[in-house]
Amino acid sequence: MEIDWGLFVELFARTFTFWWVILPAILLGLIVGAIPGFSAANTIIILLPMTLAMEPEIGLIFMVALYASSRMGAGIPAILVNIPGTAGAAATPLDGYPMTKQGRGQQALAISFVSSVFGGLLTTILALLAMPWLSQVAYHLHSVEMIVIMLFGISLIATIAAKDTLKGLIAGFFGLMIGYIGADVVYETPRGTFGFLELYDKVPLIPALVGLFAVSEAFAVIEGESILTKRGKEAMQKAGWAETWEGVRLAISRWWHIIWTSIIGLVIGVVPGAGAAIASFVAYQQSKTFSKTPELYGTGHLEGLVAPESANNGVTSGTLIPLLVIGVPGGATAAIMAVVLQYHGVAVGPDLFDSQPELAYGAFTAMAVTYALMILTVLPLARYMSKITVVSTTYMAPIIISFTLVGAFVPRAYVFDMYLALAFGVIGYVARKTGYHVAAILIGVILGPLLENYFLRALRISQGDIMVIFSSNLGNIMWVLLIISLFVPMYLDKRRKRLSKQAIPITTDC
Amino acid sequence: MSDHENDFSRRLFLKGAGATAGAGALSMLPIQMAFAAAFPEQNIQIFVPTRAGGGADRNMRAFTSVWKNHLKTNFEAGFYPGAAGRVGYETYMGKAKADCYNLIFGNMGPEVLNWVVKKPTFDLKSFLYIAQVDQDPGIIFVSRKNKKLKTIDDIVKEGKKRTLNVGVSRLAHPASLGVLALGRHTGAKFNLVPLSGGRNTRAGVATGEMDFGALPSGSVVRKQKQFDIVAVFDKTNPLPDRMKKAIVVNDHFGMKLPPLYAGARAFGIKREAIEKHPDRYKVLTDTLQKVYTDPAYKKAVIKTKAPWKYISYGSPADCEKYVEYISAIGQEYKSLLTGKS
Repeated sequence: MEIDWGLFVELFARTFTFWWVILPAILLGLIVGAIPGFSAANTIIILLPMTLAMEPEIGLIFMVALYASSRMGAGIPAILVNIPGTAGAAATPLDGYPMTKQGRGQQALAISFVSSVFGGLLTTILALLAMPWLSQVAYHLHSVEMIVIMLFGISLIATIAAKDTLKGLIAGFFGLMIGYIGADVVYETPRGTFGFLELYDKVPLIPALVGLFAVSEAFAVIEGESILTKRGKEAMQKAGWAETWEGVRLAISRWWHIIWTSIIGLVIGVVPGAGAAIASFVAYQQSKTFSKTPELYGTGHLEGLVAPESANNGVTSGTLIPLLVIGVPGGATAAIMAVVLQYHGVAVGPDLFDSQPELAYGAFTAMAVTYALMILTVLPLARYMSKITVVSTTYMAPIIISFTLVGAFVPRAYVFDMYLALAFGVIGYVARKTGYHVAAILIGVILGPLLENYFLRALRISQGDIMVIFSSNLGNIMWVLLIISLFVPMYLDKRRKRLSKQAIPITTDC
Repeated sequence: MSDHENDFSRRLFLKGAGATAGAGALSMLPIQMAFAAAFPEQNIQIFVPTRAGGGADRNMRAFTSVWKNHLKTNFEAGFYPGAAGRVGYETYMGKAKADCYNLIFGNMGPEVLNWVVKKPTFDLKSFLYIAQVDQDPGIIFVSRKNKKLKTIDDIVKEGKKRTLNVGVSRLAHPASLGVLALGRHTGAKFNLVPLSGGRNTRAGVATGEMDFGALPSGSVVRKQKQFDIVAVFDKTNPLPDRMKKAIVVNDHFGMKLPPLYAGARAFGIKREAIEKHPDRYKVLTDTLQKVYTDPAYKKAVIKTKAPWKYISYGSPADCEKYVEYISAIGQEYKSLLTGKS
């Protein structure tokens, strides 16, 4: 593909003229992203009559802006009240929420916004320039390779369990067990559904997500007066614009971290069927692996927030690539966009680059312009949004529970899912009180079924030969990298401890 | 302004308001009475037992966008894809009122076949398919990037040398049955790999993980630049212009397979609703039949890039016949579909 710079410049300029479509879409996206259970996909379905009434180009810009901003919106409640709006934001509260508790909610939001915007913007531009090459990723990452990618994410359980190995692993395996509830992907034999048809298609993610994080959090916070620590409260009372700028400065100081974690998101997003949840957990795990201060992760560490937010926004542009290059949507939202465009008589696929380049390339320019406009729209709001954390838990807890139950209901419209969220809330609460890791359970619930899908598919392809998992060269390289990423940090940690032990006597002597 | 004037205007206003309210109440009376007898007086709810954004969604929206003009009401769609359609049929449609305001839009082929393999808890006879909307045959397709497999003969030839991986939406699917039957007839070895839906199946074939795929033709025919359709499980090739390379399996291999309509979407209703409200049922069936001949419907279908040729009305009797025959084929291949052979 030859890069037509003139066309790109023209498209960018043209897309900016649609600011009147992009800005409302951004606001709507931020709102639906922040409400658990709502997503860009179901909002586009709800607004289908409206998008159908628009010109195809305007409809596409509206959908893309909504998609990108909803991804960022999902991080807001994850940081402020420990409610990830979508599975893609499930890794965000790991460090975002502890920051909020410390009274650094405003900084955390600013960090999240900057990471999301720069991660999203960078990967969109990369996607635009490197589309032919990036699309090749989907040809190489098959079931076997995806098994290894899943294991990268799942290995986060082991790192979370580092402080209390037994409890961490029990929590992780418990999550995996929950994740395997439902029909298997080959013969559709139901397992562990207890006769509930609603569990036939696996445990739904949103009720599990909001139950484990938000409902259990609501149960826990009601025991105190505020979600903030005493020091956090004082910090929040003093907070002004300076905290927002501090967040911006901190995020920018990790520019390299934003770049490489967002690229992880982009690459994973290109694989049809993979998604933001995988990308954010893998990015978090990799960030921790290569960190000089891995022990700080989970305590409100800057990089622990930057990594998942950059990665899940990197996925956004990635999912559009298979849709446009091989005609297969990378995710649910991309699939629904394709349907809307079909109603307009636009066949989405590689032909679009020749027949209607303003639409094919326009999808990416719209995303880039959305990210550019988004930072201006959302950053000033960080100060005001963070004020929610000073609300007394007497009001906060019931609001969280009400919102999350509605959120649990929305994706499938099953009342059953509301009860399920409550059940997960109780599980999460017991886990918190007994020192088990809620995040480890959740990783099992989210990534377990995906791992099983790819594993069973690989076994089916090989007709039951387990060695299939070592049958690809790329896969084998990835296995080696997985082992390195698991054991090198352990080695470095031991080395660090040994060196610090050796250093103590010297210091004492001095 | 004097008090008198104020009085007058207030009185006038009250009189006017009273008269308007009275007239309004009187005028509402016959309208309400007329509504009580009319059908429909509210929106029709459609339960779709598949995901939003798929072929059924497209098909249903195109149909109802025209049907609403004939029926003079709107449609509200709800998507309940769980448990191979069982959640939609059993939990939602099953609990909906039998008042002709609740319809299901199912795909008779894969759904009925699934129930053959895994018996549902509800009685199939409690529903009646009242109108088939389309007839979309199962097909075999290859990626255009596949350098080895270009025709069905290439597939069969290669399948005799090694086991080929075949991407399918699910095992219990008419298109999957076609591939199994072809393998049994020719001696080629095919390994069905269920990939959960048309989108994933196309992705599996496009990315080269699968050697070829089998799906309803409508799901692939719109993607001619990426895929070649090489065989069709029907009496004839219904779209010779758009499926140029597709041979008719029966003719080419001397087989006697019945047509395997992988897409056989139809509106269904509870039998109880028909028994309770035959007048409403008549309104539904009379108006929906008008849709097929309405030029606006043809326009709506073509706009979605779906082949107009697949649109054909099937009466309740036709639908029952189809359900019986797909059930019979399912029974024949049950052991292969459940992995018990």
